[in-house]
Amino acid sequence: MARSGLQRDVLALYRQCMKAVQQKPIENRDNFRSFARSEFRHHLAVSKKDFGTIEYLIRKGRRQLEIYEDPGIRNISNK
Amino acid sequence: MFRTAILRSARQAARAAPRCQTPIARPVARSPLFQSKQITPTAYFQAVRCYSAHAGLGKDEVLGRIMDLLKNFDKVQDTSKLTADSHFSNDLGLDSLDTVEVVMAIEEEFSIEIPDKEADAIHSVKHAVDYILAQPDAH
Repeated sequence: MARSGLQRDVLALYRQCMKAVQQKPIENRDNFRSFARSEFRHHLAVSKKDFGTIEYLIRKGRRQLEIYEDPGIRNISNK
Repeated sequence: MFRTAILRSARQAARAAPRCQTPIARPVARSPLFQSKQITPTAYFQAVRCYSAHAGLGKDEVLGRIMDLLKNFDKVQDTSKLTADSHFSNDLGLDSLDTVEVVMAIEEEFSIEIPDKEADAIHSVKHAVDYILAQPDAH
């Protein structure tokens, strides 16, 4: 399956998020994992031609990842 | 490639001199700088600590572990479709994000790191098994 650069960026960000989850305390990993999953799946409906939105969401996701990556953040609420 | 060549020469040297040490030698920490100097078996033997032989991974074992991992993955609902030839998205109903998670679980299971580019190419159980079998570091 050929993927566009943008698609690969999204998947790479998802990988980074899932790697970041592994750094969290083991009892709270499920919370972080489902948070990351829901953040991505929330925007599943965005058209793949809507480059502007996708780029914006990637930037937003990276910023969010930077914030949540902080080892000081040990747990996350699960909505 | 290089690693297998080294191991093979080490094994031969060990066979020639059975008293030397255990047949298989696994270096503790090998830096690329050192590697080039250790081509001769004698020098190689002095520079390493010997551990027990690495049996290598069999195809069945790799397949079994990957299948177990998929069985326990919460996104795989229909485990009856899980076979050695299952395609992640076509048979198991996983999307690209789930596939990323599966590949990461495989990385963890076999304690290897799969670069993004190769991770993107893994789409089926068969593919994953072949990839793991091709990795000398997987265990």
